[in-house]
Amino acid sequence: MMWRSARLIAGKDLRLEWRSRVGMNQVLPFAAVVLVMFAFALNPDSDLLQKATPGLFWVSVLFLALTTVGRTFSIESSEGISDSIRLSGLEPSGFFLGKVISIGVQLLILEVLLGIGVTVLYRASPAEWPLLLSTVGVATVGIAAAGTLYGMVAVSLRVRETILPLLLLPVLTPVLIGSTRAFEAAINETPADGWPWIGLMAVFSFVYVAAGIFGFGALMEDS
Amino acid sequence: MNSALLAVVTQAWPYVSASWIIVFGGLAAYAVVIVRRGKKLSRELPPEKRRWS
Amino acid sequence: MTNSETVAATGPLSTGSSTTRVIGILALIAMGALLLFGLWLSPDDVNQGDAVRILYIHVPSATIAYIGCALTTIGSVLYLWRRSQWWELTAYASAEIAAVFTAITLVTGMLWGRPTWGVYWVWDARLTTTAMLMLLLLGYLALRRLPADYDVRAKRSAIVGLLLFPNVIIVRQSVQWWNTLHQKPTLFANGLGARIEGLMLFTLFIGFIAIGLTFVWLLIHRFRVAYLAEQLEKEDLDRAIADRRAEGIVR
Repeated sequence: MMWRSARLIAGKDLRLEWRSRVGMNQVLPFAAVVLVMFAFALNPDSDLLQKATPGLFWVSVLFLALTTVGRTFSIESSEGISDSIRLSGLEPSGFFLGKVISIGVQLLILEVLLGIGVTVLYRASPAEWPLLLSTVGVATVGIAAAGTLYGMVAVSLRVRETILPLLLLPVLTPVLIGSTRAFEAAINETPADGWPWIGLMAVFSFVYVAAGIFGFGALMEDS
Repeated sequence: MNSALLAVVTQAWPYVSASWIIVFGGLAAYAVVIVRRGKKLSRELPPEKRRWS
Repeated sequence: MTNSETVAATGPLSTGSSTTRVIGILALIAMGALLLFGLWLSPDDVNQGDAVRILYIHVPSATIAYIGCALTTIGSVLYLWRRSQWWELTAYASAEIAAVFTAITLVTGMLWGRPTWGVYWVWDARLTTTAMLMLLLLGYLALRRLPADYDVRAKRSAIVGLLLFPNVIIVRQSVQWWNTLHQKPTLFANGLGARIEGLMLFTLFIGFIAIGLTFVWLLIHRFRVAYLAEQLEKEDLDRAIADRRAEGIVR
């Protein structure tokens, strides 16, 4: 039952995304703008940009996550859609997982494209693919789960746009630290340094998925 | 000139005094604000609604 | 009306009570003792000199901030589980006072760092985690204070509050690991070192008692203020509804 609800919600959201093409038309160009801005800020001729690439990549992902989460929940709060969702009998935990999957998929696509951009523009040299891919996987789950939970906390609040970053970004700092260090370990070809961080982020993701599954019911009672 | 500056900086007492004054002053100020707000709110409510029951 | 009837009719006019008076007096005595021992009777440290006197406030404040944060999480869990307003208000009050003590921890930490390390700030594990704790608490408080229906506000804040302490633990772990990557040994090591003893240890204990009692005193008052505020909101709401109803009555 939970998984059926999850599939329904994820399917609806991703279909909406695909049809509206906002992701392609606006969010992706925004990512490109961010990449270029960092290059201007950090002087591409020096080593600095290359050394900072993992950090810049993940900071950009966090900003893209804010946009993605914000948009995912603004769909719900417009036009009384939230009432119809509540009345439809969808399980809250299923709704939560559906949102996590939807946000996660959108983020993954953005991360892949951002990764290509970073490799080309900053001349990064990816290596240690198992570590890189595991980092992307576990970090994305964590970001999507925390984003969905706090996105729902902030839904239909007039101050949603300012309170969501304030709530979400401090919470995501372990993911930022972990994924950046893991990427650095991969690029420096010292993977042993990176794997402990994967473990930490796995714990983080577990905590947030669990919190969402058990806590989403309370949030949906009267959004 | 440099060594005199260093001596002032490494002298701990200005920092110790500042810490204690800020902490005690800050806590006292916070306490006063809370108690005052409590009194004001108490006045605005009927007596039977003023305490947890 | 007789005197006792008048008193009963007026009810308590402040958030104070015999409990808070006792705790308050004990807290003041403990603070006095802390002043005496902290600033005068205890010796200065072999390495840090007089700067160690700041730590008698800094360390207990940090501890009580974390305890307050844990209390907020516990209160949030109990609110979500039992819908107990008592626990929700406790969570809120505890978070605000924990924020006060977190600020104190940060300020005293910086004022201790300047004479000891020469700089106001280092990205060491404890200071960084405390700064993150401050941000997490500010987020919770910002959400809790939004004007909205009590139940909506309480439930959403409770979700944030429930995750507060787990967040602190995860952040602390990641910051500590991060820190060992670029460790600068002796200079940024734990301020009190392993060998605190004798009169200095005793002064530290007094610090814990004084700060702990102050926390409890503030918590009781802040809880009562929060309760009064919610009551007042309900009163205003009831009054507005009654006014509306009265308007609808045909004369």
